[in-house]
Amino acid sequence: MAPANKPSTRRTPQVRLRNYDSDDYCEFELLGTDVSVANALRRIILSHVPTIAIELVEIERNSTVLNDEFIAHRLGLIPIVSTDVGILTSPYEANDDKQCDELEYELNVRCTGDETMDVTSEDLRPHNSWPNALPVGHSQRPQGSAAQGNAADERPIVIVKMRRGQELKLKAMARKGTGKDHAKWSPVATARFQYRPDIQLDQDALSRLSFQEKESFLNSIPRGKMIFRLNPHTSEIEVNDAEAYLFDRQIFERMEEFSLPPDAITIRPLPDYFIFKVEGTGVLPCATIVSMAIDILREKLAVLHTEVQNQENFAPMLSDAAA
Amino acid sequence: MNAPDRYERFVVPEHAQKVTREIDTKVRHAATFVIEREDHTVGNIVRMQLHRDPNVIFAGYKVPHPLEYKLLIKVQTKGGQPPQGGEPPQALMNALTDLTAELDSIGTQFQEAVAAVRPQLGEPTSPMAVVPDYQ
Repeated sequence: MAPANKPSTRRTPQVRLRNYDSDDYCEFELLGTDVSVANALRRIILSHVPTIAIELVEIERNSTVLNDEFIAHRLGLIPIVSTDVGILTSPYEANDDKQCDELEYELNVRCTGDETMDVTSEDLRPHNSWPNALPVGHSQRPQGSAAQGNAADERPIVIVKMRRGQELKLKAMARKGTGKDHAKWSPVATARFQYRPDIQLDQDALSRLSFQEKESFLNSIPRGKMIFRLNPHTSEIEVNDAEAYLFDRQIFERMEEFSLPPDAITIRPLPDYFIFKVEGTGVLPCATIVSMAIDILREKLAVLHTEVQNQENFAPMLSDAAA
Repeated sequence: MNAPDRYERFVVPEHAQKVTREIDTKVRHAATFVIEREDHTVGNIVRMQLHRDPNVIFAGYKVPHPLEYKLLIKVQTKGGQPPQGGEPPQALMNALTDLTAELDSIGTQFQEAVAAVRPQLGEPTSPMAVVPDYQ
């Protein structure tokens, strides 16, 4: 066995980026590792990547139909572009030499017309030196900044609707936080991973079915025509898109009904092949979210290592031989 | 009314240590590590990594209660001298080193793959490198 850090226990996973056309969606493959790593990464993406969200709201005047708490809650859920989050300090990171950063916004709207008026994220006026930290899709966003988005097809987020004479005036304070604290700080809409299915077909067994039977067999399976295709020349069933299979058991029930032997189609999840799909909310580019998540997880483990090491230096746990 | 504050989940209290070690008095080469303010995310990867170590006889983790924001990792090894053998702290450190190395590799590969498609998502303004020190 090799000396020192025992490389035999170490894995070298592979990462393949599949699809990254838009900052709001990212798909990648992670190969050669354990589910625990994939799942840890997913959990970190969901709840440990910091973003900015409104945390404190001071309401001065509110004559709208929604009560103060309701509006404060809605404000909290507005996604705020968080590309500057790395240089911000959250209240929990603040200490003697670092102050907690608070980003102020103001909203002062009164409905004077006869028509129903929408109060939207567009009405939030930033009041500070963080020009990037605007609600997603806000028209004031500085062009050419890292927070580049497609503002044209994004419509502002409605906070409340007003009728004539109603008024809303408030001050909101946004802070850096993580999804562990509150889901409003979660940087993603969803982050998920799936196993890649490995589908094996036994053509001998399947050849009991006629072309028409195969056709109706595939039609009877959920997503059957996506997972498989029927080759019109050889009249054989072929795998079209294995990933369309959702690990439901339907396919095996249908196989019984068509009196196929159970091994005509075998499907097993590949144990070390994960497909990640991350859907962002626009607060951060998805690639940044994933990179940050990897760093955060790495850092968490590194901190634990240091802690255990320190303790070991201070009071080593002795083996019996030495004791 | 009597729900714990939200920050209790991730802020280590001032008097508490992030990691404490309790040596098992009845089983040889066994110890339990109590990790404050961590959950299944860390517990499960560390446990699975410990299982890969041939020197480890037993490794398990539990989160004792959903409102007690701590994690217990129990490790029993075959003992002996490092690098092949070692006591539980050594095994735990090995597991953590292996995992950080693995994540380094994942991180580098991911960033390279992204840089190939999107060079402008580069280093200087990106907060990628900045990690909150909530621990």
